[in-house]
Amino acid sequence: MRLVTSDDELIQRAATGDRSAFEDLYRRYARPVFGLALRRLGDRGRAEDAVQETFASIWRSAGSYKPDRGPGAPWLYAVARNAIVDRARARTDIPAEIPDEPSHDAGPADQAEQGYVAWRIHRALEELPEREREVIGLAYWSGLSQSEVAEFLGIPLGTVKTRTRAALSRLGEIIGDDL
Amino acid sequence: MSDFKDLIDADGLDPEEEARLRHVHELLVQAGPPPDLPPALEQAPDEQEAEIVQFPLLPHRRWAVAAVAAATLALLAFGGGYLTGHSKGQSSFNTSRVVPMHGSGEALALLRVSKADSAGNWPMQLEVTGLPEQPDPGAYYELWLTKNKQPVEQCGTFRVHSKTTRVRFTVPYSFKGIDGWVITKQTNGAATPGPVVLST
Repeated sequence: MRLVTSDDELIQRAATGDRSAFEDLYRRYARPVFGLALRRLGDRGRAEDAVQETFASIWRSAGSYKPDRGPGAPWLYAVARNAIVDRARARTDIPAEIPDEPSHDAGPADQAEQGYVAWRIHRALEELPEREREVIGLAYWSGLSQSEVAEFLGIPLGTVKTRTRAALSRLGEIIGDDL
Repeated sequence: MSDFKDLIDADGLDPEEEARLRHVHELLVQAGPPPDLPPALEQAPDEQEAEIVQFPLLPHRRWAVAAVAAATLALLAFGGGYLTGHSKGQSSFNTSRVVPMHGSGEALALLRVSKADSAGNWPMQLEVTGLPEQPDPGAYYELWLTKNKQPVEQCGTFRVHSKTTRVRFTVPYSFKGIDGWVITKQTNGAATPGPVVLST
């Protein structure tokens, strides 16, 4: 049984001015918001500004969240997306030329789906114990094999695999039926 | 990245549980790595900074400006990054994120970054494995922050003394726009930064 405070509760507490609830939301969502902003804006400086604006907006508008209309994660996603879109509209540099070739990038619907998957996964990673998050990061995104991860961390290969399995299981619990 | 079957010990897994874990595995692959959160975003904005965005005539980037100002004061006070020594223990280090670094050879590094103190000092612990020792006493390695993948701020210097070397640094910089770290090899008398040997 998980005893972690839900996003819904944190948003409602933030609406009453609870600073610690707001900081918990920030700890959980700063990285997903930054990742979403980076995907959309493609510039780290402007993405940092978008994160700032997103959390300013969350702090101001938490009172408008209605838990009976849906869980907190999609509401936060919508707030972040709006702040990022506002930031994107504010950009002044216009492409000099329109490319002749059709883009092979994912369309808007696919981009939205990929963005939400990354949002939920990166949010869930924040809840893993440090040692499990570390193993997941090394196993999936460092380019190391599990044997190399074991050597690097100075722990047995079996422990690396056990932690990876435990982390996958825990992530599955955190995500639930949302994805 | 390894195949799903190589990542975990699947012995004893029933098909339903294996399918559940494989689904999470596929979502992780689809999501890709989470971005490195810039140290400037490590802490939540305070209420005043959150409220100030309501007023378009007021400085829009006050939070970032305050961070730069604090970093500048800290930079003057501390005179840049410094080496705080090395330790084999990790118990006193409060890691807030872990950044792997690798290069073309067998060398690897794990950089643990802690939260900044109230003055804006960011403690880091660097653990390096496999970098060759440099017999020349005037040679050393440097840890740099990068912007647009180019070294821009030096975090500190170190020498390796065994297979695994662990050192701690503290830097007072504002990290806005920073996109990673690199380790460079510095030889006696050569221009700095030297060639990159490890990067994020």
